[in-house]
This record gives sequence, C-alpha cells and structure tokens, in this order.
Amino acid sequence: MKRNPLTLVIGLVLILIFGLLLFTFQVRTTEVAVVTTFGKPTRPITEPNLYFKWPWPIQKVWSFDRRVQNFEDRLTEGLTRDNFNLLTSVYVGWKVSDPTAFFPRFADSANPIAAAETLLDQWLGNAKTAVVGKHPLADFVSTSDDGASFVAIETEILEAIRSQLHTNNLGLEIAFLGLKRLQLPESVTQSVFERMTSERKVLADRFQYEGEAEAQRIRSDAERKAAEALADAEGQATEIKGKGEAEAAKSLKVFQQSPELASFIFRLSALEDSLKERSVLIFDQHTPPFDLFRGVSTNLLKK
Amino acid sequence: MDRTIQKNGLVNLLALLAAGAAGLAAARYAGSLAGLVSALFLGLGVLVAIVSWFQMRLEERERVEKLEVDELAKTRSASAMFEAKDAELFPAQRSREQFERFFVPAFTVLLLVLQAGGAYLLWRWLSRSTTVAEVKEPITGLSSFGLLALVLFLLGRFSATVARLQRHRLLRPGANYLLCNAVLCLVVALGLVAVWAGFPKTDFYVAHVLCGLLGLVALETLIQLVLEIYRPRVRGKVERPLYESRLIGLLGQPEGLVTTAAQAMDYQFGFKVSETWFYRFFEKALGWLILLQAAALLLSTCVVFIEAGEQGLLERFGQRVESRSPLGPGAHLKWPWPIDRVYRFGAEQIQSFTVGSMPDPAKEQSRHVLWGQGHSVETNFLVANREQLSQEAASRVASKRTPPVSLLTVSVPVYFQITNLVDWAYNNEDASTLLEDLSTREVLRYLVGVDMNDIMSQGRGQAAQDLGERIQAAANRYNLGARIVSVGLGDLHPPVKVAPEYEKVVAAIQTKQAKILAAQADDIRTNALAGAQAVSLTNRASAERRSREIGALARAALFTNQIPAFEAAPSVYAERTYLQTFARATANARKYVLLTTNTQDVITFDLQESIAQSLLNLSVPAPKTK
Repeated sequence: MKRNPLTLVIGLVLILIFGLLLFTFQVRTTEVAVVTTFGKPTRPITEPNLYFKWPWPIQKVWSFDRRVQNFEDRLTEGLTRDNFNLLTSVYVGWKVSDPTAFFPRFADSANPIAAAETLLDQWLGNAKTAVVGKHPLADFVSTSDDGASFVAIETEILEAIRSQLHTNNLGLEIAFLGLKRLQLPESVTQSVFERMTSERKVLADRFQYEGEAEAQRIRSDAERKAAEALADAEGQATEIKGKGEAEAAKSLKVFQQSPELASFIFRLSALEDSLKERSVLIFDQHTPPFDLFRGVSTNLLKK
Repeated sequence: MDRTIQKNGLVNLLALLAAGAAGLAAARYAGSLAGLVSALFLGLGVLVAIVSWFQMRLEERERVEKLEVDELAKTRSASAMFEAKDAELFPAQRSREQFERFFVPAFTVLLLVLQAGGAYLLWRWLSRSTTVAEVKEPITGLSSFGLLALVLFLLGRFSATVARLQRHRLLRPGANYLLCNAVLCLVVALGLVAVWAGFPKTDFYVAHVLCGLLGLVALETLIQLVLEIYRPRVRGKVERPLYESRLIGLLGQPEGLVTTAAQAMDYQFGFKVSETWFYRFFEKALGWLILLQAAALLLSTCVVFIEAGEQGLLERFGQRVESRSPLGPGAHLKWPWPIDRVYRFGAEQIQSFTVGSMPDPAKEQSRHVLWGQGHSVETNFLVANREQLSQEAASRVASKRTPPVSLLTVSVPVYFQITNLVDWAYNNEDASTLLEDLSTREVLRYLVGVDMNDIMSQGRGQAAQDLGERIQAAANRYNLGARIVSVGLGDLHPPVKVAPEYEKVVAAIQTKQAKILAAQADDIRTNALAGAQAVSLTNRASAERRSREIGALARAALFTNQIPAFEAAPSVYAERTYLQTFARATANARKYVLLTTNTQDVITFDLQESIAQSLLNLSVPAPKTK
C-alpha cells in the first residue's frame, strides 16, 4: 500500500503533541503541585517549570493555587454578651502552605479549594459565634475607643481559627481575617427603624416647641420693655405737666385782684370749652340772647 | 485472504472495544460530558463490529462449504446424496440466510432502541442543572481523545480501503464506525482545547451536539427498518447490511460529500470542473494547506500585542520571565504557545467598584436623588449613635429592647489603579475581590466608630479622606500593588424608611428659626412703637406744660387788662363778654329755642343725629284758653 507522506507527517505531529501533553506538565508561578503514582503522593513541586511524568493512570498531577485565596463566609447570627442578636460575616485570606499535607485531606473532592473553604466556613461559623458571645454590642459599634475593640474581635476570631488549623494540620494557613459585614436581623432592624423614627419625632417636637418658647420669650421681653418705656414716659410727662401746673399757678394771684370777674371769665371759659364738641342746646325765650324773641309771634302762631 | 479479512474484522472489534473503554475512562477522569457521549458511540460501534464479524464468519463458512461441495462434485458423479434438498446439502448457507433473515433485523431493532434510548436519556441527563460540571483535566482528556482519534483514524482508513473490495463489504460497518468515532474523538478533543483556552461550556455544548447526532442516526436506522419491509428481494444480489448506517459512513469519510459536490458542479457547469488543474491541485494540496494553516496559527502565537492601558506578564513553562515583565503596550516577540504564555491585565486603566449600595439601573434615569425615594439597591451599615433619648421617649419607642445603634445607607465608590502588576497578579488569587473586601471592612470599621449625625454633616468631607487613607494602607499591608485614586461618598443618608423623619427634623429646625425671627421682628416693632409713644407722651406733656404756662401768663395778662374795663362798666362788660362768648361757643352747636308759654306741656325731643323731617315742621299747638 502506498503511504501518503501527509498522513504520516500529520500522524507524527499529532503523536508528538499528544505525547507531550500526556508526558509533561507545567507548574505556574502561582501554583504548587503534587504528583501521585497510583494514588500515592510521591513528588511535591513548589517551583514553577516544565516537568515530566508518566501518563495517567500511572501518575497524576494535582495542582493548587499557591496565592492567597480570598474567601467570605456566610452571614451567621450570634448573640452578644448583652443579648443582642448580631449577624456577622468575615473575609479570610488563606493559602496552601504545605501541598503534601493539603492534598490528602481534599483529594476526593472535585474542587479541593472549594472543599477547604467549606470546612473553613464551618469552623469560622463556630469561632465567630464564640467570639461574638464574649463581647457586648458596644465593642462592635462605639464611638469611644477608636475601633480598638473592633480590631481585637477580629484578632480573637483569627487566633481561634488558626488554633483549629494548627491542631488539624490541613496544610493551609490563614494570612488575614477581617469583619466584612455587621447586620441586625430583619425584625430587629424594623425596631431600630422605629426607634430612629421616634428619635427624629422627639427632635422635631423639641425644635418646634423650642422655637415657640423662644418666640414667646422674645415677645414677652419686648412687651415688658415697651411697657417700661411707656411708664417712664408717662412719669416724665406727668412730671412735666406738674411743672407746667406749678408755673401756671404762679399767675393765679393776678385773678385774685377781681375774684368776681375771674369767676365770670372762668365760667365763660368753661362754657366755651364744654361746647367745643357737637352739642344740642335747648333754650327758651328767657335765655339771653333768645329773650329777644319774647313776645314775638312765630310762624306757627300765624297758622 | 479471507482469514485476513476476519482478522481485520476482529481487529476492528477489539480496537473499538479498547477505544470505548479508554474513552469512557478518559471522559470520566477528565470530567468531559462530550467524551461520555462519544463513548456511547464507541460502544455502539463495538456491537456493530461484533455482528458484522459474526456475519463475516458465517459467510466464510458458507464459502468453504461451497468449495467443498464443488470439489466433491468434480470427483464424484452425481449420486443420491447430491439429489437431496439444498437445506440439507448447505447448512452453512442456511445458517447465514437464517441469520440475515431473523437475527440482523432483530439486532437492528435493538440498535435502534439503544440509539434512540441513549439519545433521549443522555439529552435529559445533560439538561439537568447538576450535570453541568467543570472539566477537571482538559489536558489529559484532549490528549487521550486526540490519540484515540489518531489510532481509530489509521485503523479505520485501512479497513475502509480494504472494505471497498466487493467480498469485503462486511468490513465496512466496523470501518465506518472506526472513522466516525475518530472524527467524534477529534471533536471532543477540540472541545477540550476550547475548555483549556478558557471556554468552559464548550464541552457541554459539544455533548449536546453529539446527542443530537445520535438521535439522527436513530432516525436513519428507523427509516432503514421501515424501508426494509418494502424492499424488493432480488436473488443473488449482494445486499447492504441492514445495521450499516450511511450517516455514520458519511461522518467518517466526509470526502464523499466533496466528491458529490464536485459531481454536482460538473453537472451545473457543463464541463468537468473536477478535472481542472485547480480542483486537482486543491484536492491534492488540501491536507498540506490545512497543515500550513495550523503552522501559521502556531507561529502567530510568537507575537503578542498589548493594547493601550494594558500590561502583560510573560511566563515560560509557567515561570515568570523576570527580565521581560511586565510587557508594556505594543508588539512583543515570544516563544510559541504553550512554551511562552502572556497574561494580560488592565494595569494602567482606572478601575472602580462600589462599597455598599449599588446603583439601581431601573432608577438611574431619575433626575432627582432624594433620601426619601429609593434610588439604589440599598445596603445599610451599623453606625454609632450619640443621641440619648429622653426617658419618656425611650419608654414610648419600643416595648422590646432595641440595640443602641442606628442604620445608615452608604455608597462608597472606590477608584484604583494597578501600580505593581507582579504583586497584583501573583500575591493574591483574586486581588480585585480582596481590595473590595478590604475596602468594605475599612468602611464598616469607620462607620461603627463615628456618630451618625456627625458623618452626615460636618464629618462627611473628612470621612472620604480618612477612608481613602485607610484603604490605601490596607492595600499596602497586603501587597496588592494598587494605588487608591479616589474614594467618594456617593450616598450617605438614613435608610429610605426613616429618611422622611430626618427631613421633618430639618423642617422643624427651620420652623423654630422662623418663629424666633418672627418674635424678634415683633420685639423690634413693639419696642420701637413703645419708644415712639414714650417720646410722644413726654413731648405732649412738654407742650401741655408750655401751653399751660403760656396760657396762664396770657390769661393773667388779659385779666389784668379786663379789670379796668369791668370796673368801668361791670354789667355791660359782663353782658358783652357773655354774649361774645355765647355766640362763639354755640356757633357749632345745634340749638332749639322754645318759644312757648304752655310750660305745663311735656315736649319730647328725639335727639338723633338725623332729625326727622316732620320735627322741623313741628307746629306747636295754640295755648289753651282757660
């Protein structure tokens, strides 16, 4: 049979490619790897490079990301020392520190990183609840200590989880931990809303009545000052009038020269003063100068 | 030669069996759904190969039997023995005929059930959400399926070439399955290459396509079974095995399609297009052209273009090439894939994320951002609250115990830039998420330590600055290689549910101010008027004093002058003075003069302002005469 050189070339190239893929593997700078031979870990690899191996199923390569993994646990509810319900979640930076110790614990899992995080989630839940129970709510939310208690709580959770990891030797280490969320349960949130509303109502009422009180005080002061000013003025006026009266009294001696005439003039003056406003006067024919009509026929009599 | 054909059939069978087992194992190991579906194709191929091999053996037995009978016929004359019926004389032939009459249709029905059932069940299985799983070992999978494709292709080509001979037709079904499975394994391998290249769903889609193909093959088998019922039987004509699929053959040898197309072109153009030099060259060089294309594709991976605003990290066999990283914008030469690889990052671009409330696309069109109207997906943070409720208010607020905290809706957009790409890419698995977490933590920590009213008013500007510094410090602490460009406070207000109450407080403050200002205005007015009134009083008093003094003096002077006149004519002077004064004083008064003598009568006057007209014409009755 005539051999086609093209088929041969393609075949050789494909065999080369697939052979290389089966017999070699790369470990990236961001990875660590464990080579297992018939399931037994035989070679941990921590340096990035190209490596040879026997093809599967003889040897198998398990690669893990060596960088710090970022993981946020579930929001879990706990009770503070002063019996307030508090929901907390933390973020954790962790990494594979020992691939040979890490690999056997999670080899069965399809995704060892996810499996490790599931375990961490459970441990974190326990550690958080325990630490939250040791602290009053004021340690989480307070203006007094500049966040020192907040940091202390994080450190306590971190130490608790590190201690558990040290005991179990999972081949991973926690690089850092921080509180990411602090929340109140929905029912408590509603009552906080109610309290905030009431606080605002108290404030609104306070401002409103403070305004009224202040306005009333200002008006009262103003009225007092006005009354005082008028009283002073009236006093001054009376005094002035008194002085005028005293001055006027000095001229009374002149009238004493003819009391009869003075009396007549005073009465005329009084009469004139009293008739200044609109008056109705009824006279008969005896009153001067109407006595001039006496004996005079009127138009009525003519009728 | 016939023994060789049987061997070929057996090799086909064993190859399909081994490939099926290897494919299944590789698919399970790699987690490839498409690989699992292709393993079913391989399994069906095994069944077809078994049946065709068995049929091949029956035909071989028949051929040997015929040879023996012919040999006996030559050496002996006709005897009673050869006068017997065919069924008694040719048991092998009868076996083959019985096999083709009963077993082959039954097997084809079984094949149909397996194809249709397999397609249906696999489709349902693939449609379940739990089935979609990540391909765990794409490299092992693609290399395994690639090798399988190569082996199956070589064996299949050989068998297909041999099967072109008339007497070797029974090799064809197995050969078709070998070639078809070679193509399917290649498709699976290409799908896994796509998965490796970062398209994880490709394997899932390839599995669906293979399922559909299995359904089509089942449909073809069904049609063949139906047509078999009506097919005219011509004695002596070599029949195509019922279980042989034309579709499988076409998939295994797609060049048949090209030949058909060429023939169609010949017919359409009226001359032999397929015999032109170009067509022949193209036909001959197609393989080389494809190979050249693949080589060009590989060569193209020797150049990488980094776009503006990006930076790249070059890795050789997974190891960072420190002398050449990071790669800036522009063209860069490198070793071909998979020796060198470049990972791109938008390092120079300003990137951003938001801590807390996220913008709500549905409400973004609104031109007003008000506390009392939801304008984002609200996220509330706990904040400290220095305000103390009065005892009365506290008891009124809630019968249940309420935590002494408040809630604040916060939205903090953070803008950052990657300054150290190596730190950003290699220290943390997901640096963006970590920076977001760190920022959220700093916002949370800041808010739980400040008073709500402070941060909403005078502390707002300082808060943005403090948060920026804190987030930058945290990013430096964890070697993120990022610079915080700016931190803003987009939203900072009470939750929507309580926001109206906060606005009422502001309104109450304004009302208070208004009342105070109104009172102050009253104050000014009252005091000013009182001052004026006081001045008026004193002025009037002064005037009165003056008037009194001057009047007294004047009257005294007048009196002094009147005395001589009075003394000179006391009655006349008095009379004159009286009448002058009377006239002057009563000038404006309304006067009624009664000129009557009947004084015993009582006259009633109505002294209203307007006097009745009748009164003006009042006529007094004449005095009564006694």
